[in-house]
Amino acid sequence: MTRIVTFLTRTKGSADKAHRFGAQDYLAYGYLLLGVLIILIPVSWTLLSSIKSEEALSGFDTRLLPYSQIVKDIPGIGEKPIYTLTEDGQTQEVFKQGPTRRVTEVSPVANPETILEVPRTELKPSEEIRIATENYLNPLLQRGDQKYFNFNLLLWNTVFVTVTATLITLLINSMAAFALSKYRFRGRLTCTILIIATLLIPSTIILVSLFFVVWSFGIFGSLWGVIIPAAATPTGVFLLRQYMLTIPDELLEAARMDAASEWRIYWRIVLPLSLPALSVLAILSVIWRWNDFLWPLIVLISDPSQHTIQIGLTTFSGEFNTDQNYILAMTVVSLIPVTLVFVWLQRFITTGIATTGLK
Amino acid sequence: MAPAALLLYAICLLWIVGGSVWLLARRRYGVRNVGEFAMDLLGFPVEIAQSLWGRSGVPYAFLLPNMMIFGFFTFAPMLLNFWVSLTGGDSIALLSRPFIGIANYRDIFNCSDMLVPKTCSNAGFTFWTGMFNTLFFVLIQVPVMCAVALITALVVNKSLSGRGFWRAMFFYPVMLSPVVIANIWKWILNRKGILNAGLDNSAETVTALAGMAGFDIFATILFAVLLLICSERALRAGAEPSMLWAALFSLLFVAVVVWADPLQLIWQTDTRLSLYPALILAGGLLWLVSTGRRLARAAIVGLGVVAVLLLLTIQFDAVFDFSDFRPVNWLVTPRTGWPFFWLIFVFTWSHMGFYMLILLAGLQAIPSDLYEAAKMDAARPLRVFFRITLPLVMPTFTVVLVLCLIRSFQVFDEVWLLTGGGPGRETFMVVQNIFEVAFASDNPDYGEAAAGSVLMAVVIAVFTFFQLFVTRRQSEF
Repeated sequence: MTRIVTFLTRTKGSADKAHRFGAQDYLAYGYLLLGVLIILIPVSWTLLSSIKSEEALSGFDTRLLPYSQIVKDIPGIGEKPIYTLTEDGQTQEVFKQGPTRRVTEVSPVANPETILEVPRTELKPSEEIRIATENYLNPLLQRGDQKYFNFNLLLWNTVFVTVTATLITLLINSMAAFALSKYRFRGRLTCTILIIATLLIPSTIILVSLFFVVWSFGIFGSLWGVIIPAAATPTGVFLLRQYMLTIPDELLEAARMDAASEWRIYWRIVLPLSLPALSVLAILSVIWRWNDFLWPLIVLISDPSQHTIQIGLTTFSGEFNTDQNYILAMTVVSLIPVTLVFVWLQRFITTGIATTGLK
Repeated sequence: MAPAALLLYAICLLWIVGGSVWLLARRRYGVRNVGEFAMDLLGFPVEIAQSLWGRSGVPYAFLLPNMMIFGFFTFAPMLLNFWVSLTGGDSIALLSRPFIGIANYRDIFNCSDMLVPKTCSNAGFTFWTGMFNTLFFVLIQVPVMCAVALITALVVNKSLSGRGFWRAMFFYPVMLSPVVIANIWKWILNRKGILNAGLDNSAETVTALAGMAGFDIFATILFAVLLLICSERALRAGAEPSMLWAALFSLLFVAVVVWADPLQLIWQTDTRLSLYPALILAGGLLWLVSTGRRLARAAIVGLGVVAVLLLLTIQFDAVFDFSDFRPVNWLVTPRTGWPFFWLIFVFTWSHMGFYMLILLAGLQAIPSDLYEAAKMDAARPLRVFFRITLPLVMPTFTVVLVLCLIRSFQVFDEVWLLTGGGPGRETFMVVQNIFEVAFASDNPDYGEAAAGSVLMAVVIAVFTFFQLFVTRRQSEF
């Protein structure tokens, strides 16, 4: 018995360091558990809520499972929500014949002609567990009462911005990093300092004049107005430069012996070798662009055909406050890619940020 | 079409046509080398630079696109900001904006009392309300964020099982977009949302429990036993009092004193004044324990006796009666401080993982032989923390402080989506002011917004330099 306890409460470390659980360990695990619960509960509650029916959401049903009231098609009358009525130990399914009053007129499903008068309090909604797939399918397939939220367009715009911006970022950042790490030239220090300085310039204080610049380039209101200003990231240059410094110069010299041009050296030798750093930057860039909010809001808000998911979600929840079921479902949909990227690639991301110390 | 766009198309055309001709004239490409040709075409300016100026021209060609974007979209706007802030009108064409001098700044500073935004002109009112709110937010947010991130990093840095999992879990919210975060928390914090429902439920349960016969005696005995265990563990035989158990003990002590509220016999108020002496006593006890004074044992025993005496006077069924609980409209009720509290909570929730990771990297860079040496000298954990961990992690901590400060100053997304600056203007931040003046009003005043941005930049710069100056000595360590 004691062996089992020792085994279960042993902590990490070599045998001589192994010690039993102390108060400190309990506190540490308690803290971590609490933190993870605070992080996971809101997200999973949103997930669970997004599969509840519209009625359950507008009634703020706080039960865990997606209960919704059964609706049956009564011949000659139409679709009616079903209640259960318990009288003298007998239960039967009924539907309401008129408005809900203190004494309400109901009819049994089996026999729609008879009318019973029962107190309102004796009627219980007859419920089943049903996953409300319409929350997801209506906006995605443009059907039902859900026509304003053109999800496919939003998705296409966001994917376009994310992919294009990431490709451009990878290309020009790696080019700059290559120049800064593998060449000695006048102005190298100045360029490095300038790039680090841009890290310290908060993006919000240049908002107004950036708007003027983007407008005079003629890309205001188009997706390029979001892609281009964000393409050059100081973080990316910094991260790639640090990595490329570790590539031995002899490889480059050997290629020069074989009369490779500098551009060929860059994309045939240096780029493949810095693939780990490139993938970290790619992941970061995808997350940044996918989640971008303030600048796309300014540039794209006037043209609904150019909205990204984040903006669409904002305007949608602003205008149609009642459609909580769609808001939650679309929140979950926009959360899914980020979560997938996170689950697969979190090791890259966490080490990438930890080594550069930047975001 | 703007002339700049036309120029762009011309350049693209020249690039593709000229580049193809140039490349095809010099190199041979088979049908299978289409990809190679495309890459060469992409880097065609670099090839030109190499053939024109040799290898010394190449780095400039490599740097050009990146630096051009930095120049046009970061540095030029920086300088342009000053110019825009000196012009008026709502024209978007830069050159047709009339120069009006410092009128925009004068508008903002047009106050009879600088500390009360209500006495300002309209522009000054919104700007200073936002500025004061932001300063207040930063003042609370930065210490809270840094403390939570440091504690989490320290805990995650311990050799626990599943370290990668915990680290990743804390990082997860950083990846979520502000819109998603706002939607999630709005749903949780709704007046009929899960938080209020949960609180209501537990209040009912506790009240029902407290109403049961014998609850008073049961609770008294339970707390007495807890106090006994904590003080016994804190006073472990033959060793110095343990900090952790002393902390638990003082927590219990404060709770007991607040519930018993002995000061109510003197001043008949409902505000539970006893909290303050209790906090002072508990703090004193912790100080005694942490510095390893002889008095610590006596203090624990003394406070324990006081606590047990007070315990006998508590009416537990009244303490745990929460029947007057009402659901709170967390994000909407004015003058409760709740909207502000939840903003800070959500901001910490969503960004903490990032700072934790940076601090974790700093912690892992501390050589472990220092800790082994400390262990040889039988140094207390608290002393190890203050003498080894904290000084060595200080440079990283400074980075975190500065980043967190700059980020908190720019807070906009979460606030705008969660509260919209409300209730009233309680959570109205300075970036929201800039955004609304320039982009969300019917007659945009770009000059005013630019002036606000310049002032905000000045405040951020002052704060950053002040912080770097204060932490300079530690980071030189």
